[in-house]
Amino acid sequence: MIEFRKDLFADERDDNLNEVGQPTRRQDILGHVTGRSPFFDDHQFDGLTHLKCVRSPHHRARIRHVDTSAAERMPGVHRVLTERDIPVNRNTLLALINFGKDDEPVLASGQVNYVGDPVVAVIADTERQARDACAAVRVDYEVLPHVLDPEEALLPDAPVVNETYPNNSFDYHEKYDHQKLRFGDVQSAFATADKIVEARYQMSPIEHAPTETNGCIAVAETNDRIACYTSTQALFFSLGTVAKVLDISTARLHFVGGTVGGGFGGKVDTVVEPLAILGCLLTGRPVRFVYDRQEEMQVSSPRGAERWYIKDGVMNDGRIVAREFRGYFDGGAYTRLSSYAVIKGTAHLPGPYTIPNVSSNVYGVYTNRTPASAMRGFGITGVDFAIECQMDRVAEAVGMDPVELRLLNAYRDGDMKAHRREAKNCALIECMQVAAEKSGWAISDEFKKLSSLSGGGGERAIIPHTVTDEHGKIGSSRAPGNTIPGSGYQPAAAPSLAAAASTTYTAAPAASPMPASAPAPTHAPVSSQPPATQAPPSRTPVRPGASSAPGGTVNADSATRPATPPPSAPASRPATSARPRNNNRFSSLFGTRRR
Amino acid sequence: MSINSLVCSSATEAARLLGSNPRARYFGGGTLVMRAINEGDQSFDTIIRINDPELTQMQIAGNRLVIGAGVTMSALLRHRDAGFLHAAARSVGGPAIRHMATVGGNLFAQSPYGDFATALLALDAEVIVADGSRMALVDFLARRNPSSGPTPVVTQVSVNRPASAGDFWFLKVSRVKPKGISVMSFAAHLPRAANQLQQVRVAVGAMAPTPVRMLSVEQALEGHALDAASIEAAARVALEGLTPPTDAIATSWYRSEVAPVHLKRLLTGAMR
Repeated sequence: MIEFRKDLFADERDDNLNEVGQPTRRQDILGHVTGRSPFFDDHQFDGLTHLKCVRSPHHRARIRHVDTSAAERMPGVHRVLTERDIPVNRNTLLALINFGKDDEPVLASGQVNYVGDPVVAVIADTERQARDACAAVRVDYEVLPHVLDPEEALLPDAPVVNETYPNNSFDYHEKYDHQKLRFGDVQSAFATADKIVEARYQMSPIEHAPTETNGCIAVAETNDRIACYTSTQALFFSLGTVAKVLDISTARLHFVGGTVGGGFGGKVDTVVEPLAILGCLLTGRPVRFVYDRQEEMQVSSPRGAERWYIKDGVMNDGRIVAREFRGYFDGGAYTRLSSYAVIKGTAHLPGPYTIPNVSSNVYGVYTNRTPASAMRGFGITGVDFAIECQMDRVAEAVGMDPVELRLLNAYRDGDMKAHRREAKNCALIECMQVAAEKSGWAISDEFKKLSSLSGGGGERAIIPHTVTDEHGKIGSSRAPGNTIPGSGYQPAAAPSLAAAASTTYTAAPAASPMPASAPAPTHAPVSSQPPATQAPPSRTPVRPGASSAPGGTVNADSATRPATPPPSAPASRPATSARPRNNNRFSSLFGTRRR
Repeated sequence: MSINSLVCSSATEAARLLGSNPRARYFGGGTLVMRAINEGDQSFDTIIRINDPELTQMQIAGNRLVIGAGVTMSALLRHRDAGFLHAAARSVGGPAIRHMATVGGNLFAQSPYGDFATALLALDAEVIVADGSRMALVDFLARRNPSSGPTPVVTQVSVNRPASAGDFWFLKVSRVKPKGISVMSFAAHLPRAANQLQQVRVAVGAMAPTPVRMLSVEQALEGHALDAASIEAAARVALEGLTPPTDAIATSWYRSEVAPVHLKRLLTGAMR
């Protein structure tokens, strides 16, 4: 039963939308309920062959020798593929958008790095023949030590999981072994806070478990083209990846997809298409490569494991004045999308709460586990779980109702977020008030009266004096003598003053009204300032929207470079003023709220 | 190699073929063996089926009910004479599984499956195999092991018919309802004479490699009235002789903790 609370933000919304708020029929539902939606496996071809992989039984091992001779002689076998058959046997998904280095082979070359790492592929007339031939492949492994825990992987003597990233962590901005976020000065705020609340949270990998497992069928078309019927969620990523690893023109590939039998992010890695298409090119036969259920559970990439340490400085009245994160995304053996999960997770910190001092170090770590990738809100869900558990702990520590604590700290319109964007269109307060009302959770009148529209901005819009540092340069975790898990930045232990820099942003005061098209204010980048070893906290107010980080996250590196001019700044206005009509809180284009 | 499928017209022929081919597997309803085929189990390459309609019959013989090994759970659920087994049959899988899963096949289901066999065990079931010989189900299960020679072809299972509906109780404990896999399952046959329990049989599934009788519990109840004191005594010895497995459904510890509680609930339900 859906109830629309149209009384909230009524003056900001047009109610003349055709789809939002209206019952509607999914465009594909008729095909699904009548069994007529064409899935990739519904395509039948004469002479179809089947591909199965020989996979690593070890977490980490050197491959001494691969003997496929017996398998090649097995009945029904058309071809046995090894790493030598792959034209470009190294790839990373996000290389297509220039993010990260190629680190994952299609078939293992020289070493396997997780249980299930594919070593050899067999193409045969039936699935059973392919399996029987796989069983006849002899792989001589030299088992090597492995690491399965992200913090252990960052110790100096941990085995190297992935030769492309010999420090077992993804390289951020070609400078750091982690993604930084700095906003204000958490250490000073901890010193003045009434209470410190610290805890560790962790999440295990989660498999998407789609009804239709990952799979595709590659079949020769006319004009030297290959058609690939696939379950992928990322048709053009797959097309580009196959063209790259097989070193053929995209014009020779015809990808047919669109109906995914359950994806949830589990079908964005291009894992089955390259081998099936290569098999088709080499044998001339249609090749079907579908994960069986066990492969889907063991080998297809899950949501990665995460571990978070959160430290909060809290005042007795429930205001959170500082929050510090240390996070580890366990990417498994290869990058896939974990590098991006770290960036996305950092952009989400410190959660939907206005906290004047935030610091975060998040690591994308390699371990000898199944490579992790996308799954529904990945990068956010794990840390949100940690943040909301932490909010309950904070509420307990200060003796406050957990809903009221959240209401007190929630973002309001005009507040400055830790990544230096003004909070707009906030509705968390209203959502929680309605949720409390619906669930019969008693909150006091004072909190019932709170509104996202009032009380934000002003002091809360200030970008504080920010302490930055250069801890955790690439490779520093491998430095001899470093025995601290996480390598890094251990603020409580001993922040090096010499490396600390302070950034002061100067701009027009928050209250001064500016036209929407105002030229960007000048900022003083830190490079033009004398390096302050321990500058007194400067509370120079900053106009909301003055940002030095267009990407939504801020790291110390970007703060030291002359910043690009920010996008045109929104007009600031008294926080309580009613917005003009048509300044829509909800975008009619996407059905989501505008950012 | 592909899978060879052989269809026999009699159980004796099937038993002969199974005996002569160590790489053959008997295929009943297919809910276990078909899954193994789909998962690429390379330990067999031949399946043997029987199309003898005798296997799908059910008949009453005195105080016993004789059920053909090929009777499916849904067929049993349509049969009025098997009413006392309906709760157990309904606990097996979902409708699609019940439509295929057979009574005979359930005797071979590995823990934590095999809830129906648990119910049969509490009814003093006898297993009749292809050569006509009979064996108590308790012995059959104890000897059930693929490495101990060819698997016998079961043709029928014969069970006690409880004198009244209130004498037989079945409880399946699962975390997902209604189709979850067993954390454990209990079956209790509690015939009463002059308010005293006589010939008590209590069986439990998923608490050992096969369904087993709870002999200590039976002893604690035998000759007593079913009341709070005897139930308490039974719950105290619930774990005797059991080494619950740890699997994807529950840990051994968890099973040990909750088994007495669930047994008590079953018996308390029977008391009312």
